[in-house]
Amino acid sequence: MTAMLHPSSVTSHNTAVRLAGVHKRFGGSRDTVVALEGVDLRVAPGEFVCLLGASGCGKTTLLNLVAGLDKPSAGDITLTTSRPAVMFQEAALMPWLTASRNVELALRLAGMRRSERRERTAELLDLVRLGGLGDRRPHELSGGMRQRVALARALASTTAGSENGTPALLLMDEPFSALDAITRDVLQGELLRVWRSTNTAVLFVTHDVREAVRLGQRVVLLSSRPGRVVREWAVDGLSGAEEAEIIEEINSGLREVISSHAAA
Amino acid sequence: MPQPDVAELASVEAGLDALDAPTRQTRPGLRRALAAVVPPIFALVLLIVVWQALWAAAFWPEYQLPAPSAVWQVIWDSVRTGEAGEVLWNSVHRAVLGFLAGVLLGTPLGLVVAKIRYVRAAIGPLLSGLQSLPSVAWVPAAVLWFGVTPSTIYFVVLMGSVPSIANGLVAGIDQIPPILPRVGTVLGAGRLASARHILLPAALPGYLAGLKQGWAFSWRSLMAAEIIAISPQLGKGLGAFLEQGRAFADMSTVIAAIFLILVVGVGIELLVFRPLERSVLRARGLNGAL
Repeated sequence: MTAMLHPSSVTSHNTAVRLAGVHKRFGGSRDTVVALEGVDLRVAPGEFVCLLGASGCGKTTLLNLVAGLDKPSAGDITLTTSRPAVMFQEAALMPWLTASRNVELALRLAGMRRSERRERTAELLDLVRLGGLGDRRPHELSGGMRQRVALARALASTTAGSENGTPALLLMDEPFSALDAITRDVLQGELLRVWRSTNTAVLFVTHDVREAVRLGQRVVLLSSRPGRVVREWAVDGLSGAEEAEIIEEINSGLREVISSHAAA
Repeated sequence: MPQPDVAELASVEAGLDALDAPTRQTRPGLRRALAAVVPPIFALVLLIVVWQALWAAAFWPEYQLPAPSAVWQVIWDSVRTGEAGEVLWNSVHRAVLGFLAGVLLGTPLGLVVAKIRYVRAAIGPLLSGLQSLPSVAWVPAAVLWFGVTPSTIYFVVLMGSVPSIANGLVAGIDQIPPILPRVGTVLGAGRLASARHILLPAALPGYLAGLKQGWAFSWRSLMAAEIIAISPQLGKGLGAFLEQGRAFADMSTVIAAIFLILVVGVGIELLVFRPLERSVLRARGLNGAL
């Protein structure tokens, strides 16, 4: 079975996304690669969850399944949100459209009327602090600015469908990993600000422990090949010392996962 | 999770934006225009000077190398008598009609070849092969099938332009970064909306290159066909004008015809395709070559 939508089901009460026993295999019968093996995960509405793991842990696969870009081999994915918005590692803006047209495209595909689109686009660009730059093309923007346009576009696609009160969900696949350190730092702050002001649930994939702890309320560690949930940590509202301690702990967990592959 | 200092964040971000954003560059319009116009004029003048010098040296008899002024005289006379206008109209309207028909046929063909795997496997290689087949090779067959009629001319023009246009669109679609259609999917675009808002605009640069080549092939196929297939039914085009010069051993007419053929080719390129290409590429930040 694949992604099912039951907005008012009892089981999905207070849940934005629920993954139950999700398996994903690639390839034919002989050379099968098991990317995900029995992943269970729940994200509450408005919650910020970071998925952490080394290469090959199926983080991206998991995100693609939730986004509906791919179908699980077994297990259920239940969404109680509007269609999830996705942000990729690259901004993936349409190079022939201006920044505001890129944001508008999301609203247009969601079927919003033109006058409403204009207004909403301006709001979203203001939210990511690109108010006066809507007429720039992607090649006239820096990498960080492009990623903020992509964020505005993602928010456009979540909120366009959630006017009727269904919670929104934002899926992010290492969106800042191609940026330089300062820009990444600023965008992390920016993302937190935007997240607080929009009450969107976020599922954020990263391989950077610090990033995961800084951003998330909860950090979920996945093992590699096959990907399984190893452990999770609540990392909300930590003091500086606690944070350093938990980063160390998660780091050693991650190292363990990676070194287990050297033996195999 | 530490609370970021919002005011500080905003100012650091504004600073980064100012430092990192690529600066817009514009050259003054007059200087750019001069830079585009002066070199080709210089080259043309140089060519005429060399030609005049060679003619004055009288290495070759007059019927092999006429004076530039003699050629100019032929052109001027044909313009005054209206012959040039008639000949140009005959050829250009056929080329344009043939090219437009080529667009109407080549575009869906390209879409089908690009998007349907079986069709691509079946006729993709043939389509690329046809592109390297000089379409003048179709003239004998076309004359046997259709006689010396406009159908022959249009057939040859189509065989020249359709493969280029279709292949251009296929290349344009193949070169779309795969992330863009994925973005369309996650934004909820169906097949039609995806083609309209993402695939077609993303393939535009490649398609335009195909159209440009398709026009060039239409024009040269037409000239080849007009040189070979001559009949009163067809009227007199540039190719026939050229062939007539050869028949009367009138080198000035031959060179004048070649000159007019070039003028049309360069003119369409400069007036139609160059501005189109420039605006499409510039919008995408790909203005290196122009």
